[in-house]
Amino acid sequence: MHRTKGRIMMKRIKSKSRTAVLLAALTALCLTACGGGETEFKNLISEEKEEERVVNLFSPMEKTAPNAENVARTAADLTVAMAEEALDVSVAYWTYTAENYQDKTYDEVALDRARNNMDDLYLLNPDVILALGAEGKLMDLSGLDSAGNLREIIRTANTVDGKLVAIPQEVVAYGLFVNADLFRQYDLSLPETPEEFLECCRVFKENGIETPIGANRWWLETFVFALAYTDLYNGGNTEAEIAALNSGEARYSDYMRPGFEFLQTLIDRGYIDPEKALVSEAIEAEGPDFLAGKTPIVMAYWGAANTETAYGKTEFEMQVIGFPSSRGQMPVMPMTGWAVGAEAEHREDAARVLDRMVSDEALQLFSETNRVISPSKNVKVDCVPALRPLNDRIEEGIYVLGSNAGMNVEQWGNTCLIVRDLLGGATVEECMASFDRLQEAAMAGT
Amino acid sequence: MKKIPNEQRKKRGFSLLLSIILVFCVFGTVVFAVSRKITKEMSDSAIQNLSESLDLLESTIEAILRSEAEFQTLIAREIARVEDPEAYIRACEKNQTMSKMALILAGRTEGVSNTGDRFTEEGLDFSAGGTVMGLPVSRSYLNYMGTWSYTIKCPVERDGREIGTLYAEYIYDAIDRSLPDGFYNKQASLYIMDAESQRFVLKPKGMGRRSAGHLNLTDFYRANDIQDPGIRAEVDTCLEEGRNILFYHSIRDVQALNYMWSVNGGTVYLVGYVPVEAIQQEGRTVSQNILVVVASMLAAFFLCILLYYLNWRQQDRLRREQEAERKLHSQQLAEALQAAQIASESKTTFLSNMSHDIRTPMNAVLGFATLLALEAENPARVREYTKKIMASGQHLLSLINDILDVSKIESGKVVLNFEKFSLNDVVSSVDAIIQPMAKARGQAFHLEMTGVRHEYLVGDETRINQILINLLSNAVKYTPEGGAIWFRIIGLKQRSGQYEHIRIEVEDNGYGMTPEYLETIFDAFTRAENSTTNKVQGTGLGMAITKSIVELMGGTIEVYSEVDRGTLFRVDLELRIQEERADRRFWEQRGISRVLAVDGSPESREDIRVLMEDTGVRLDAVPGLEEALALLRDGGEWQLLLLDWETCGPAAAKGLREELPGDVPILLMAELDAPDVEKALELGRGGVLTKPFFVSALREKVEELWAEPGGEAGPEPGEMEDLKGLRFLAAEDNEINAEILAELLEIEGASCEIVENGRLALERFQRSEEGEFDAILMDVQMPVMSGHEAAKAIRSLEREDAGRIPIIAMTANAFAEDEKAALDAGMDAHVSKPLNMELLKKVIRQCTGRRGES
Repeated sequence: MHRTKGRIMMKRIKSKSRTAVLLAALTALCLTACGGGETEFKNLISEEKEEERVVNLFSPMEKTAPNAENVARTAADLTVAMAEEALDVSVAYWTYTAENYQDKTYDEVALDRARNNMDDLYLLNPDVILALGAEGKLMDLSGLDSAGNLREIIRTANTVDGKLVAIPQEVVAYGLFVNADLFRQYDLSLPETPEEFLECCRVFKENGIETPIGANRWWLETFVFALAYTDLYNGGNTEAEIAALNSGEARYSDYMRPGFEFLQTLIDRGYIDPEKALVSEAIEAEGPDFLAGKTPIVMAYWGAANTETAYGKTEFEMQVIGFPSSRGQMPVMPMTGWAVGAEAEHREDAARVLDRMVSDEALQLFSETNRVISPSKNVKVDCVPALRPLNDRIEEGIYVLGSNAGMNVEQWGNTCLIVRDLLGGATVEECMASFDRLQEAAMAGT
Repeated sequence: MKKIPNEQRKKRGFSLLLSIILVFCVFGTVVFAVSRKITKEMSDSAIQNLSESLDLLESTIEAILRSEAEFQTLIAREIARVEDPEAYIRACEKNQTMSKMALILAGRTEGVSNTGDRFTEEGLDFSAGGTVMGLPVSRSYLNYMGTWSYTIKCPVERDGREIGTLYAEYIYDAIDRSLPDGFYNKQASLYIMDAESQRFVLKPKGMGRRSAGHLNLTDFYRANDIQDPGIRAEVDTCLEEGRNILFYHSIRDVQALNYMWSVNGGTVYLVGYVPVEAIQQEGRTVSQNILVVVASMLAAFFLCILLYYLNWRQQDRLRREQEAERKLHSQQLAEALQAAQIASESKTTFLSNMSHDIRTPMNAVLGFATLLALEAENPARVREYTKKIMASGQHLLSLINDILDVSKIESGKVVLNFEKFSLNDVVSSVDAIIQPMAKARGQAFHLEMTGVRHEYLVGDETRINQILINLLSNAVKYTPEGGAIWFRIIGLKQRSGQYEHIRIEVEDNGYGMTPEYLETIFDAFTRAENSTTNKVQGTGLGMAITKSIVELMGGTIEVYSEVDRGTLFRVDLELRIQEERADRRFWEQRGISRVLAVDGSPESREDIRVLMEDTGVRLDAVPGLEEALALLRDGGEWQLLLLDWETCGPAAAKGLREELPGDVPILLMAELDAPDVEKALELGRGGVLTKPFFVSALREKVEELWAEPGGEAGPEPGEMEDLKGLRFLAAEDNEINAEILAELLEIEGASCEIVENGRLALERFQRSEEGEFDAILMDVQMPVMSGHEAAKAIRSLEREDAGRIPIIAMTANAFAEDEKAALDAGMDAHVSKPLNMELLKKVIRQCTGRRGES
């Protein structure tokens, strides 16, 4: 019994000492928390920061949907952030997007801004690159480290007067986005040639699909390029044919005619709604019907297949194929690219930022995020399944360029405008006359 | 100790729980109210904070607009002064703020601009009616530089007459240069919106997410999921009226304050949102700190509760232990009290029993003594009364002995007196006592002995005797006449080579005992009380004494009993074996090398074999006559034949006698008083060996048989006990005792001189001549000099006979230690009082004889 009492006493002492230790620790903690309030005179303003170096970047504004990620934009942002971190510069974004067809286009604004040296770094469409390059408003980027990594075709397509005036972050390939479920439903195989394409459209139309092709005012020209330059780019005599065009021996209108005639056929047969297309912005107009499964065919660029804000998430099986041509499905590749204003306020910093943005490291990150074909010969990334048909053709080396700085008539912008004329009711002949005029003007300019 | 009922305890627990919940509710309410108040205050503060920031931005932009208007007014005045205003305009250079300047002279629709182009008002929309310092300001548009701009027009007046209108185009980018590089840690989003077109014309650097741009108000609504028609209607109204609006709306799941802030009377709006967290950074820190404090308080509270609970649990355990201890104490006390009461009752009962038991024989003694006095002349009556007085006296003596024994055992004064003894002697003496008692009651008494390997052991013989006599006399007492008693000595398996393990069993088929009595049989002062046993005299102490002695010897005692079926007592003892005696020589000296045993019982044969194991004699054991004869015919030669009388009978004895040489003695192994055994003795040399027997008994018989031819017979017993002619010196202080002694010795033909104490005895012996006294009889407790002192003094006298004169202690101190003390004092023997004349004669004979031999 005594022993029990003793044990209890011991336990009590132990528990008391434990409590005491706990209280002591708490007190110490409190004292520590209360202490440390020593004051000494100090200027509370932190020292002047080093003047921030800014690079103004002008790019189209993506209309964002609530709570949706824009992968393409995110990918570019990541490379910008990478450059900012590496170079300790701050990149300021300036953006513009036309509200409607009556507004100035992005290209127009980009031209104005570049001509007035409003920004340092621009994301430009091929026609603008060509125009500004010709005016000498763009800096020669061939001296950048990353320029050495570019695939040759990219370098060629972006060289104006011997200067590398723009470098893209992705090889933009245009293709036909088709609803494979609908093709299967009507027992149609994916079209290879213009005839097959017309047949598909006929079947769709007969089956109650009023307008089988969803179109906007920008991208119908891709049909034209596919038909126009299939042989030029894939016939093994590219340089000579371009030289003939530049010298006036060959006429652009001769190349362009089949495409315009084909478009005219599509319009005539009611496969395209020209009035609607003429006032429609890309994806905005035709996108919802395509996603809803009402329109079986639309055209768009590669990245649209990866982006939720475009066609990255469909409820049907989507396939991206090339445009119909005599050589089968044909991808059309215009070259957008980043350019630096030759007289821009922060041109040196802008060039360094761009160098970083198109470095192999940045392009790897960009391509992995966006799942696109990289302009660097050192970067290879798997594409999403829907893009495989298009990718396969590109990998085979079969494609048509939508723009070529080596041609003296700018292709991408001019063709787009002339296609709009066609949509607006001009005849094929009138359109061809426009090309002839352009060629003559170009010849006169040189 | 009051026990709290379960229900009450439950109620208490419930109310405690309720109280805790209540405390928590109050605490929670307070915390909730405080945090709500803080939240509201923080919200108000956030709104105020943001309003101030926006006011600042508004003021900045308005200041820019005003300065632009002022600048333009100044230029207009300047132009009014110059001769060729258009030349002036052409000469003007554009700057970072003003991108274009143009003049249209009054009455014309075209004018000149500093860019060199012709200028018309086409494309400029002043219809909204916006002004800066009274000058009309156009709707925003994208200028030739690809950037958003606005134009302010100002009349050019000369001498009070308007000579033209000055147009100046300003770009919004200029405002950006005057605005801070982001606010609210660059988390706030800011756009400048042209109120008329609701286009977003500027997103200043560092304002909001870089990746998210907004085209116009509709795009802003869509991108930020502002779909509430109420909000949108309110915004429209505010825009129309040029008022500010602030509202909460989550942008990408982050709570934000959205704003449309009117600038320059509503021509331009600041549009955007600020995450509430960004505004309330300090507030959030405060909230977090409050949360930490509350959490700490809660933790401290729970810690206190935990400590309190642990302490309470410890106290409770302590209390319960103390309670248990108290309970145990009171129980022990109660038990002790009960035991004391029982003891007291037992002692009272015992005393009353003793009183009765002592009075009864005492009454007999006194009564018969009275009768003796009356009838002294009638010798027959005298003898009868004397016999009865003797019997009563004997009973009284045994009563007193038992009482003393018990008191000694209980006070722990008993000491065992270990000595060498022979089991045979013990069994023989017990048998001699019990056999007649059993016989007197017509009971069959069976003595059995099996498996005992050693006869000579070390132990307290007297106490072992006491155990056996107690058990056996009880058996005799509590078995009705004609019953049977079994006395068994069983040799158990030895646990150690040095100890004989013996089991003693005393069984009877008597009255038996009830289970209740069995529980108390070994307690002192109890006795089986019933109509049958009441006839039996006894002290009721015998079993208590027996058990105590057995346990003192390290043994165990068990009892099994059933009413009317009988009782079995079983005592297990371990007794040390005496060192091997020179037994073999005895047999060799007498030429005995082979013995034949004829016994029908295999167990008996085995017992004989075990007994003879260490003698060096070869034993042939056969079950019957035929086997014995067969052995004989095979040339067997034996010096001794052992024949079991019960299993083999007279025929076998006769048959063997005829075949055996005449000098080979036949020892008949028989129960005491076996019939016709005497006749068999007539057949020739032989004798009777009482079963069961030990080697020592067999040796005695052999000794007798081998001594017979010499005819050296011992003295007659009667002759030996005679004290005729002997002269004693007796020291006795009690006159009556002295007289009795003197009378008794005189009756026996001896003379006696009585002295009153030890000193007188010593002096008388000193004075005596050698041989004057044959022995000294010495009382122990005497005045002047005790018997022990006197004996020592006598032994130390320088006389030749001082050392050899027998001194016999005669004392009422009747215990073993008294005897030991007497012997230690130099006395030769010890005889306890009251005097048993037979015993005294025997002792005197032994002492005088031994002294004579020495």
